[in-house]
Amino acid sequence: MKRFRQISFGLALAASTVGFGSTASAANICFAFQDLETEFWVASHKAIVETLTEMGHSVIERNATEDVNRQLEQVRDCVAQGVDGIILIPQDGESAVTIVKEATSNDVPIVVFNRPPANNDNGVIVVADNAAIAETAAGFVLEQAIAAAPSDAKLHAVVIVGDLGDTNAIQRKKGFEAAVAKFPERFDVTEVASDWDAATALANLEAAVTAKPKIDAMFTSSDFLFPTIRSVLEPRGMWKKSGEEGHIPLAGLDGDATACKLIKEGYVDATGVQDLYFEAEASVNAIVKAIEAGETDPNEVIADPGFALTTANLAEREMDMWGCKLLAEGFLDN
Amino acid sequence: MKRIMKRLVGFTLSHSTAVFFVLILLWFGVQAPQFLQPESLANIIKQSSFIGIAALGMTVVLITGGIDLSVGSVMFLAPLIAGMAMRSFGLPVEAGFVVAMVVGAGLGGLNAFFIVVLRVVPFIVTLASLFVFRGFGTWLTSSTQFDFPERMRTFGLSNVLGIPTPILVFAVTAVAIHIMLRHTGAGRQIYAFGNDREAARKAGLAVELIEARAYIISSVCAAISGFVMISQIGRLDVGFGQGREFDVIAAAVLGGASLFGGVGTALGAVAGATLIQTAKLGLVFTGVNLYMQPIILGTVIFAAMVADGIRGRRLRDKLARTIRPLGSS
Repeated sequence: MKRFRQISFGLALAASTVGFGSTASAANICFAFQDLETEFWVASHKAIVETLTEMGHSVIERNATEDVNRQLEQVRDCVAQGVDGIILIPQDGESAVTIVKEATSNDVPIVVFNRPPANNDNGVIVVADNAAIAETAAGFVLEQAIAAAPSDAKLHAVVIVGDLGDTNAIQRKKGFEAAVAKFPERFDVTEVASDWDAATALANLEAAVTAKPKIDAMFTSSDFLFPTIRSVLEPRGMWKKSGEEGHIPLAGLDGDATACKLIKEGYVDATGVQDLYFEAEASVNAIVKAIEAGETDPNEVIADPGFALTTANLAEREMDMWGCKLLAEGFLDN
Repeated sequence: MKRIMKRLVGFTLSHSTAVFFVLILLWFGVQAPQFLQPESLANIIKQSSFIGIAALGMTVVLITGGIDLSVGSVMFLAPLIAGMAMRSFGLPVEAGFVVAMVVGAGLGGLNAFFIVVLRVVPFIVTLASLFVFRGFGTWLTSSTQFDFPERMRTFGLSNVLGIPTPILVFAVTAVAIHIMLRHTGAGRQIYAFGNDREAARKAGLAVELIEARAYIISSVCAAISGFVMISQIGRLDVGFGQGREFDVIAAAVLGGASLFGGVGTALGAVAGATLIQTAKLGLVFTGVNLYMQPIILGTVIFAAMVADGIRGRRLRDKLARTIRPLGSS
């Protein structure tokens, strides 16, 4: 908690140094998010709300609980209340287009956090390069699998895919495919649908592992599925630490506290990290800047390059990952 | 030949769910023979247990002519409270299981109170409780995931006499609901209520008690279902169970339960849940394109529903003929 406050304070301080933190008048900012179901969303929500509050702005929070129609109504309500700007975490790319248009057509600037609209025509979009991050993380475990196998062996990789209606899930899938494409003819790939749901992932992964029990590498499109993967692999004696006989090189994406813990323990080899604090800071800065400048339809894409935390760079980059910071604060000690 | 075809069509329609089940098994078995291996079949049943247990309870509610939209939220809230009790008081998993059932009964009782005592429509009551129960659980967890003690996973991944615990719980629940519906007065009263509430009341049945009992059974089943699934993962995410009410209703209806009441069986619910899971896992097993999977699954469920609808109409037609006086033209 103390660490988090330090980070929030740092963000506020950084904002003030670029000229709008201390001089800006207090603004009414609507923060409409789709849910708070994963560590990533919880930490993002906290970073954005605390930073805005510490900068002296008032925040109207709206949780859509994964209902796109409700989120649209909530944004309309915010507009009707005369907010100065909106930060949006949409449920999906398609609904984001509608909501962004709703805001900009009413002359309210809007910033979309992390989950991009299906087109970039309006609003400020802060988004991680999911494809590149996934490619780096998946590439790390695919290389490990190749290094451990005979040079002519055909290998089997499993990818757990997210909700196919979510742009981020698609980008992560593409990133994994790009990583596999670097090793032509070396991998047979099994795709497993998760719909971002642990129970669905459990059932489908069990079926996939039963169908093809020999797995040389695995990539999950989100770190929150690591406990599910463990539940499938452990009873089959396939949940092994790196260096142990039968270890499956395993990578994820998000950079959450569970992933950090599992990398440290040796069960997971890599995770693609979205730089949550960079994205939160960029979103807050962008909306405040637009309000200050009186811009009603700022249009810009701010890319979070992200990185992959791996067993190879853990020592140097551990504290660059938001999940490791949360882990150090005792996030998993509930 | 025509007669044989007619009989074949008749047989297919009379046993539509079973026929679909066999066809799906064969279809995927031909494409991937290991799909028919015992491990794969056991996995299908194990994964069916999640929706299947809840579908058993839903079937009881559907027989009364009601509906329970809150099952997905009960799947989430009951295990959560049980997990908190396990951690706070150091309860063993078995005691946690009982706590989940008691919480489920309490949540079902709450639904029943509004439906039976205050006479609010079940759809509205359970739609509201869907949000209230989930909201309460989200508040309890502060939107963060809840990790169960390690012994929870030991329970979920355990076997009894070689049978995975989730399958065992599924079987015991199915047998209990089957016996209750088929071999007890309480079960017969549920059918009587579902067929004609007013006639049941005039016959002296305690209709309020019958209806309340159905919602409590449904919630207890949902609580068991959630607990059994969570015991396999060891972690409860806030989104757990969300939208599952539709899977549960689909499984119950696919198993022959009527949305208009009076019809449905425990075995049907088991068959419905297993059919859906067989199709789902078969698509994964044979590596069907991810975009095609929901389309094919939806088509299979739709076809099974249509066949079941035709079967129901034929049955009604046959029954209608039997009430005509013999010898009349």
